[in-house]
Amino acid sequence: MGAYRADEDYDYLFKVVLIGDSGVGKSNLLSRFTKNEFSLESKSTIGVEFATRSIRVDDKVLKAQIWDTAGQERYRAITSAYYRGAVGALLVYDVTRHVTFENVERWLKELRDHTDANIVVMLVGNKADLRHLRAVSTEETTNFAEREKTFFMETSALESLNVESAFTEVLTQIYHVVSKKALEIGDDPAALPKGQTINVGSRDDASAVKKDGCCSA
Amino acid sequence: MKSSGTTELNTFYPIKPECQADVPATRFKPRAGKTLSQRRWQASFSQDGHLDIAKVLRRIQRGGVHPSIKGEVWEFLLGCYDPNSTLEERNELKQRRRGQYDMWKAECQKMVPVIGSGKFITTPLIDDEGQPIDPSLVGVQTSDKKVVQWMQLLHQIGLDVHRTDRALDFYETEANQAKLFHVLAVYAWLDNDIGYVQGMNDICSPLIILVENEADCYWCFDRAMRRMRENFRSSASSMGVQSQLATLSQIMKTVDPKLHHHLEDLDGGEYLFAFRMLMVLFRREFSFADTLYLWELMWAMEYNPYIFTKYEDPDRAKTKGPSPATNNKHLKQYGKFERKNVKTGHTEENSALSVFLVASVLEIKNRRILNEAKGVDDVVKILGDITSNLDAKKALNEALKIQKKYLSKAKKA
Repeated sequence: MGAYRADEDYDYLFKVVLIGDSGVGKSNLLSRFTKNEFSLESKSTIGVEFATRSIRVDDKVLKAQIWDTAGQERYRAITSAYYRGAVGALLVYDVTRHVTFENVERWLKELRDHTDANIVVMLVGNKADLRHLRAVSTEETTNFAEREKTFFMETSALESLNVESAFTEVLTQIYHVVSKKALEIGDDPAALPKGQTINVGSRDDASAVKKDGCCSA
Repeated sequence: MKSSGTTELNTFYPIKPECQADVPATRFKPRAGKTLSQRRWQASFSQDGHLDIAKVLRRIQRGGVHPSIKGEVWEFLLGCYDPNSTLEERNELKQRRRGQYDMWKAECQKMVPVIGSGKFITTPLIDDEGQPIDPSLVGVQTSDKKVVQWMQLLHQIGLDVHRTDRALDFYETEANQAKLFHVLAVYAWLDNDIGYVQGMNDICSPLIILVENEADCYWCFDRAMRRMRENFRSSASSMGVQSQLATLSQIMKTVDPKLHHHLEDLDGGEYLFAFRMLMVLFRREFSFADTLYLWELMWAMEYNPYIFTKYEDPDRAKTKGPSPATNNKHLKQYGKFERKNVKTGHTEENSALSVFLVASVLEIKNRRILNEAKGVDDVVKILGDITSNLDAKKALNEALKIQKKYLSKAKKA
């Protein structure tokens, strides 16, 4: 096990999903975060795509495996299969299209129906660079986020505004949840779920996995 | 470094200069003596317009179709026209279909006036209750479920049209975007069972570029959808393409049990990672020009001489179906893939060539998947490497070999 993927050692592997209406910029947020790329010509996501990136929090390496989903309702049967085992979610809307914000409630319900109650959710108001076209005010979302107990941030994948912070915040919060959990169960690493974390359509609801062996030193 | 072939193709399907670096490289090159050329295409028609389809198929399966004639050749491959018809008969049919399309489009325009205006919409027309959001955009007030469902789809079509193949120069004009919008909107109106599902835009876009007349595009798209529409059927619990994925699973289990079991161990036995390949027929794995090449090879290999009758006159097709004692001359009118199905009496609807193509891609990556994949995410990553690294013809010939193996093993079992 130690020899495998020695070049990308990590302490925690977290599965995160990107959801929200069609055309709000989910794929560009992902490519901005994982590759520092943005494309005006980006295509619609068919089904589910994914990318990874690791960040460092405290002295730990957190590897995020981020699943990007198609926004159209018709794809829900497929995309919701990927919710399982997710410990974080970025629920994206477009600040220039109010209807995409109105649908956030529906997305939230959908997410809570399919995932663990401890999931870290961040509302992301994307396309904040289009200031003259803004249709959703910051206050409106702040109130909503407080009520629903989610995190909230406005971003621009195009201008690379807050993208890094949004993802980092989600991952850090997940890390806090997980380390608190570890503390509660007496810091016994054996009590943490082990084995394959991310399974498409898996029955295994493992939320976060500490990789074997990496912390023994 | 660009080869001359790429440069030539770039004049047919120009890519915006700022996007050159972002699109996959193209491998296809028209080759003299292999690719179906304009001259050879014209020479394949008799005096009154009957097409020697056997000759044409042979060519296409060797080297594709020259970009200058793709549109008209595709109309035959997709089954819009019967090769065994005269030019006059086809012209008559074409005029009739154009009239039909204009009528349907007018019907749509009556409900949503923006259709046909050269513009399109990207915001919802009606709310969840079916009430118009901006009454000036909606021509009828109705609670008719069919109309409401259709109207609810239109902004999704618009959102996707807006980001379909935008690296190509072609879609820089609003008129061309509107052409794609119209065809998808009219299709969604007529096939209200399927309506519109993301990915249909990817299937439609090449037709919009290759076929000049919008009504003719519509008919090509309708024919293409006859092959693929079941994939786009969706319910709360599943999507149609999962039938093809189940067939893929069956094929892999039969031809490469070791790889299949490995994938099962990774919880990838449902083959969801192949979802996109089948939904949009490998459009994201190939450059635009290479997709065209892949598709025409596939459709030539899948060609069945009864395809026109099957679509145009399904009842007659049933009585006139292929007899088992087909002679050699007749068999040459089938593509390589379909010929094998006919010979073995294999008629499974879900085992399209594309399914075997996915199997061949998995075989290409067999070793890496077995050795390196520790999770489904690794499988996705390994398969991601095929983008612009795949030779369409080689991969399809591998797919044919897998088909042969599968049919013979399935027969024994």
